[in-house]
Amino acid sequence: MTVESTVEVGETPEPADPEVGVEQQDFNALEWVSQQGVFVFTALLLIFAGIFIDGFASVDNITDVFNRAAPIGIVAVGMTFVVISANYLDLSVVAQVATSAVLLIAVSNSYNMLLGMALGLLVAIVYGIVNGVAVGVFRANAVIVTLSTTFVGLGLLRWASGGSIYFGDPDGVIATFGSTEIGPFPLAMLVLILVTLAMHFVLTNTTFGFLVKSFGSNRHATRLAGVNTPLVVIGAFTVCAFGAMLGGWVLAAFSNTAVSSMSAGFDFEALAAIIVGGTSVFGGKGSVLRTLLGVVFVSALTNIMVLSGYGFGYQQMAIGALIVLAVSVDALARKVGRS
Amino acid sequence: MSGELTTERTPHTVVAPIIEAHDIVKRFGGVAAVDGVSIAVPPGEVHGLVGENGAGKSTLMRVLAGILTPDNGSVLVDGEQLEAGSARSALEAGISLVHQELSLVPEMTVAENINLGFTPTRAGFTNRREQRRIAAEALDEINVSVDLDEPIARLSVALRQFVEIARAVARKPRILILDEPTATLTPAETDYLLDMLQRLAERGLAIIYISHRIPEIFRICDRVTVLRDGKHVETVDIAEIRPNELVSKMVGRDLEQDLQSHREPTAPGEVVLSASGIRAHGVNGIDLTVRAGEIVGLGGLVGAGRTELVRAMIGADVRSAGDVTVAVDGSVRRINSYQSAVASGVAYIPEERRTDGLALTMSVSDNIALPNRRRLSRNGVLLFGRIAEFAKRLAHDVGLRPPEIRRAAGDFSGGNQQKVVLAKWLGREPDLIILDEPTRGVDVGAKVEIHRLVKQLAENGAAVLVVSSDLPELLELSDVIHVVRDGRIVGTLSGIDADEQSVMSLASGEASGSAA
Repeated sequence: MTVESTVEVGETPEPADPEVGVEQQDFNALEWVSQQGVFVFTALLLIFAGIFIDGFASVDNITDVFNRAAPIGIVAVGMTFVVISANYLDLSVVAQVATSAVLLIAVSNSYNMLLGMALGLLVAIVYGIVNGVAVGVFRANAVIVTLSTTFVGLGLLRWASGGSIYFGDPDGVIATFGSTEIGPFPLAMLVLILVTLAMHFVLTNTTFGFLVKSFGSNRHATRLAGVNTPLVVIGAFTVCAFGAMLGGWVLAAFSNTAVSSMSAGFDFEALAAIIVGGTSVFGGKGSVLRTLLGVVFVSALTNIMVLSGYGFGYQQMAIGALIVLAVSVDALARKVGRS
Repeated sequence: MSGELTTERTPHTVVAPIIEAHDIVKRFGGVAAVDGVSIAVPPGEVHGLVGENGAGKSTLMRVLAGILTPDNGSVLVDGEQLEAGSARSALEAGISLVHQELSLVPEMTVAENINLGFTPTRAGFTNRREQRRIAAEALDEINVSVDLDEPIARLSVALRQFVEIARAVARKPRILILDEPTATLTPAETDYLLDMLQRLAERGLAIIYISHRIPEIFRICDRVTVLRDGKHVETVDIAEIRPNELVSKMVGRDLEQDLQSHREPTAPGEVVLSASGIRAHGVNGIDLTVRAGEIVGLGGLVGAGRTELVRAMIGADVRSAGDVTVAVDGSVRRINSYQSAVASGVAYIPEERRTDGLALTMSVSDNIALPNRRRLSRNGVLLFGRIAEFAKRLAHDVGLRPPEIRRAAGDFSGGNQQKVVLAKWLGREPDLIILDEPTRGVDVGAKVEIHRLVKQLAENGAAVLVVSSDLPELLELSDVIHVVRDGRIVGTLSGIDADEQSVMSLASGEASGSAA
């Protein structure tokens, strides 16, 4: 009895005049806020902070903001692929970042740095495939899958490391990388910019990036165009895992230490940056350049709170509230845009 | 109209109608799905409602049940006007609708489902004893025995259908509306259901019965109303009409004119698509071939298994049995997956353009590039200049209006969206193109252009397979028409000999066998 209902109601009524092929476009304020708001808000925030917050515009503080923003930014840029593919997010970046950081420092101390990096790369590929297969092939829910792989990954890391803190060689390559600055800009910032540009190219100029967007916009239509869609999803999670791996290395270098708990909160801070940047959680639309801007906004906001004496608890509240606000505006804009 | 009806059926005993609808109009975005229809049914009558797909039957019934608010007209029960668009008001007046889609909760039990929405309570808790009593009584009324505590998910499709009817009966209706209740039933189950409805009518219920199946209409209905394109064609006493006359009234267009518009048959070439023994969900063993330069039409009612057939053939859905090959220039390829079908030169224009055909938030140009990405990129890097040129050419070929390829596909009208779907696949120069309801929800102008494109494809040597519930379209395009019913080909007609009546007769089961 599941027949015919769509036929009877003529599901897509047509404009009477076939010459007028395009529907009238009304201005949608919510859509404007969710798409363009980040530019205005970021500019306002930076101007406000520059004028009213003591110490915000100092070279030391800017270097500090960049150092903290770089690892989260690199993670967020990679995760943008998962969000655009309409698979919500990858929570397991928390485990991935910590694993890659611990592997880098611990293996460098015991063997050599390149082996640590190679193992990190291997771990990233495993995460990309496991998350990607569960979500892309079995069509399991991405939130639940990546929440679970976080659990497994962090459990494995704690078991292997015994929860210990690894300190890097203070004169080693890693420590040197972490402490090198060009003016107020730490080297980590350069890595963030390079990664963003590379990922931007992948997203906008390659067939793979095109398919990620297309899948996020309509997975059925993409499959019916003859695309191997599970591979697209595995690809998106793998790109995300590469971002998390690089983010873990940069994070380890900055403090020259590594511990399994060091990346707590990366999942939500990265998500906040992506969504505030204007990439839609409904998928199909977005850009890594926007994510970069979102990272600037979130990092500046956090820094302002630190400088104003609001502690970690307040920062958490602010990030959480920001996500709720941003996804609500995104969803509302879409709802208004449809009706 | 009601005044005249009261005396029409049984001249010796004048019975006032229990339910009347006057001049109902319901529009969806400017298109009138129901356009000035009136209907009146006295108690004890089984009243048939027939018409082609899209004639407005289900819409009219939803208006009667208060699910849809009409743009004009009124519904009366016992001469009292109901509140327009109020499902509760309709229910209180005694109108019960057995939905077309099953609306039961699979995880809940039979008793819980029958009481759904009206669960009896005591002090805020479910009164389980009362719930079971109501359910048992309703099932008893329709003479169906089923375990009250069985979850719906464990019942057969037929039993679920009967539970659905019990649910309607439990409301103690005086008017029972059934929308295609036998679509998923076997002949024996259908018999049982029809007997049951007759018994309910004998007890004084007014029954409105929607069906495509002409034999069922003749078996149980006292009178029948024919709708066509949302308009009321005629209400007749069943004794005064023959089945083929009824089918003509349903179809009702100028048949002569349709015959003239039939395309010149071309000399068919080599066999391109060859499918044998196809079985899948809703498909019960179908063989099919399509030759180069030939347009083969698949006719039948919605739900007959045509969409399921084409999707199973090309691997878009799972196929449980059967072999499919596509032969192009002497090389024969077996189709085992959808990707292998696309790689072998198959193009598929799906039935649901918004959910399956297009990425609506992406540009026309991106949509056109999607299946053609390999030729529009080098080493995995997109060639934007080539994409723009390619998309512009195809948008021009299909007559996209306005020809703005950078706009989101979702901004365009249905007809233009369909042209974009065609453009996607024309770019691949397919050897076999399968179109499922190619002009549904498309304006007349775009329809003509789409037909022209389809014919042109065949003239250029492509094998074309068209699924259409739009009979004039099917007749205009097809060289050969296979009529599908219950997942089988029940008749094959040559495009020249076929007319709307012969297709409809086969589709509805009024006639059977091959007439080709």
